[in-house]
Amino acid sequence: MTTFVQMVINGLALGSVYALIALGFTVIFRAAGTMNFAQSSVMLLGGLLVARLHEALGFWGALLVAAAATALVSVLEALLLRAARKRDLASLAIMTIGFNTLLLAELSRQIGSDVLSLGDPWGSRIVEFSGITVAQTRVASLAVAGVLIAAFFLAFRFTRWGLAMRASALDVEAAALMGIRRRRLELSGWAIAGGLAAVAIAFLAAFPSQGLDQTTGEVALAAFPAAIIGGLGNPAGALVGSLLIGVTEAAAATYQNDLSLLGSGLSLIAPYVVMVAVLLVRPQGLLGTRETSRV
Amino acid sequence: MTAPPLVVDRLTVRFAGLVALDDVSLTVAPGQIHGLIGPNGAGKSSFFNVISGVYRAAAGSVRFGDAELTSLRPDRIATHGVARTFQNIVLTKGSVTENLMLGRHSITRAGFVATALSLPWAVSEQARHRVRAGEIAEFVGLGDYVDAPVDVLPYGIRKRVELARALCMEPRLLLLDEPVAGMNTAERVAMSHTISDIRAVLGISILLVEHDMGLVMRLADEVTVLDFGKRIAGGTPDAVQRDPEVIRAYLGTGRDA
Amino acid sequence: MSEIALVRPRRRVRSRAASVALGAGALVLLALPIYLPGFWLGVGLFSMSAALGAMGLNLLMGTAGQLSLGHAFFVAVGAYGYAWFAGHSGRQGTVDLSGLGLPPVLALMAAVVLAGLAGVLFSPISGRMRGLYLAVATLALVYIGHHVLLNARSVTGGFNGRQVPEMELFGFTFSNHHPDTLLVLGVPFGRLERLWYLGLVLVGLGWWLARNILRGRPGRGLAALRDNELAASVMGVPAARYRAAAFTVSSMYAGAAGAFLGLVYERIVPDSFGIMVSINFIAMIVIGGLGSVGGAVAGAVFVSALPLVLGHYAGSLPLVVPAGMEESGISPVEASNYLYGIAILAILVFAPGGLAGLVRRRSPKVPTQEER
Repeated sequence: MTTFVQMVINGLALGSVYALIALGFTVIFRAAGTMNFAQSSVMLLGGLLVARLHEALGFWGALLVAAAATALVSVLEALLLRAARKRDLASLAIMTIGFNTLLLAELSRQIGSDVLSLGDPWGSRIVEFSGITVAQTRVASLAVAGVLIAAFFLAFRFTRWGLAMRASALDVEAAALMGIRRRRLELSGWAIAGGLAAVAIAFLAAFPSQGLDQTTGEVALAAFPAAIIGGLGNPAGALVGSLLIGVTEAAAATYQNDLSLLGSGLSLIAPYVVMVAVLLVRPQGLLGTRETSRV
Repeated sequence: MTAPPLVVDRLTVRFAGLVALDDVSLTVAPGQIHGLIGPNGAGKSSFFNVISGVYRAAAGSVRFGDAELTSLRPDRIATHGVARTFQNIVLTKGSVTENLMLGRHSITRAGFVATALSLPWAVSEQARHRVRAGEIAEFVGLGDYVDAPVDVLPYGIRKRVELARALCMEPRLLLLDEPVAGMNTAERVAMSHTISDIRAVLGISILLVEHDMGLVMRLADEVTVLDFGKRIAGGTPDAVQRDPEVIRAYLGTGRDA
Repeated sequence: MSEIALVRPRRRVRSRAASVALGAGALVLLALPIYLPGFWLGVGLFSMSAALGAMGLNLLMGTAGQLSLGHAFFVAVGAYGYAWFAGHSGRQGTVDLSGLGLPPVLALMAAVVLAGLAGVLFSPISGRMRGLYLAVATLALVYIGHHVLLNARSVTGGFNGRQVPEMELFGFTFSNHHPDTLLVLGVPFGRLERLWYLGLVLVGLGWWLARNILRGRPGRGLAALRDNELAASVMGVPAARYRAAAFTVSSMYAGAAGAFLGLVYERIVPDSFGIMVSINFIAMIVIGGLGSVGGAVAGAVFVSALPLVLGHYAGSLPLVVPAGMEESGISPVEASNYLYGIAILAILVFAPGGLAGLVRRRSPKVPTQEER
């Protein structure tokens, strides 16, 4: 029983961190109509900055600076995207892939084969209650992510920014007709996505992970299925999808031995298996809406 | 070859609370030119979209002869001989002939394997249908333009390509969505002749949505009037023009688009 | 009005000069193994494998307009498929490998068919999904595929991979043996030279098939689906079926690419088929030009050759250092990645038509609006 509860807690913690990334995808999709395949390298940038700056600025200071930097880089990416000649989905998505390739090339060079510590204040300490042991980092991630997610949904629901986001059309052409306000809104979406990504990697690179290395950014890829499962563009869906993925991953890791028939390293592919399963049953995602137009 | 009748019975279409079509019934008799008119927002486009399978009907039925079209996908409906044009022309990149050949899709059979391997029957099928597409192009007045890329053609010619492409499907029922929108007078007259030729020579039933009242009244054998998704009048052009309900809906004018 | 009638038909008219150039090019390709040293033969062979994969992805992306990140998976299916179909059972190190021991030519065809089958299996998703949903769904293929490659050890050999049996045709082997020495104009033709011609045949065949599809009814249907799905549907093009078909054909090309790659590598490992491979293929299509078979091949050559060439000349190029060296500088792979990233961005901003688009712009066969 305790194993199960531990697994659920770990899963929710992981899922809430994924949610930070997935919510970023959601706002970018609503605002710009594309998927940001550069999220992993932007995230990695954030992690690298925290790793480099935490000794000088302390963990939280470094994180703040990193979040600002990733927000800025995301905005730059958005501006670069504006320069693309063809505005169709595939072209924009490919541009984000190009951006990712470039940024990742530079970051890989910077990190090399090092494994960096992010200097988080929780280290490898654990929390115990009622016979359940959970890493402090997990508790912290639940708390921090929880606050940020709550703030996000409150803003989405009750502020003018949120209203504009909810009302924003996915039609990129119509967006062009709507002028400056629209463009500023779009950039705000990118900035928020970038900032959230930095916070996400701060937790993903913490215990029980060894630290930050070249491949840590790839964890962001698990958030893609999360966003898709929930239905692209739907924040609640992104949250549900992320939590689902987090718990599934934790379950796969915890019960790995019982599932050894399916091979080792199941937790790595758990997000994708869940996504395929969901898409087979509901192609529009769990909370996505089916269009009236049949085509 | 006469087309079967199109019988639409109590058709209803809803979008998240909005009723686009409310209990609409009409019949297009074989070989008839049937006009569908109504103020903007009356539901004419929705009507076309349901018939061609783009929208799902909430209630009612669409029958074309013996076939029940109501819940079929658009590409299935095409095989029953129902073709349509679009208000905002949707042509693919390429030459006029390429676009017309797309219209031949539902009556040709060459699949991926046969085409990839350049099997003789697939090659000759293409050739045969190219010839036919050329004939249809001539019929519609596009003979000079068959090899021209569609992007550089004037609007009026593109409208004709749209029409010719629909004809290439060898339809028995043709749904024309504002075929003369945006055309000048001369072009309208020419198109009007083409449309009546289509019925006269090819025997195709035509359901025509248009705002050009003069054109509709001249061409149509029968007219149905929609307003706010409901059928408010129907009958011969003369009868409809005098119908007080229709006059009220249009606020007293038989205005041109 | 009749000026338009004077517009030249786009395709059929190919000038004498172009035909001669094409013929000369073909002759050059046939003669190259006599003159090229081993390194450049290797570059050519990798390019050919990439070209096969790129032609398939071009059908999916350029014509059907679908974005797939799963190409690497189908390449892996082709490679491992061939290795298993042609391989023999036996012990390799700590692993008991299985294999069907089929004649290599049969194994090659079976591998392509297997990749196609994998594409068909994915069709409930590839047929019904579009755009970003499909793109992310295909991510799953790469990662789940990688997992299977690592774990299905009796088939794939696990982490250490598996040997790839040589191609053999009626007693003639595409290796350094059987015949042990083959002299062509005084030049010994070993494995690489022999594989060159096999590659040319495969690429030529692939080109011909792709061209036929694009010019014929299916190609038109796919292009219509991409441009306006509604209109295409109304014209009778069955959207889901065609999208699934495009995906399947694309995966067969990838399978062929994988099988040929296996022959070139002689040994395949799971890490060779990661997400970066999928991204490389996308880069090939974008750089070469969407929708053009020739463009796909050009893009394939560019993207495959680049890291190899950079690595070869690492000593003499500024900044670029051979991989693994301690000096400061960029490794060839890193340098290539920089260039891909920049190339993709630059092309989508300045020349969305890619290399093929640039060539087309140079020789306008149609008078533009202004010229008329």
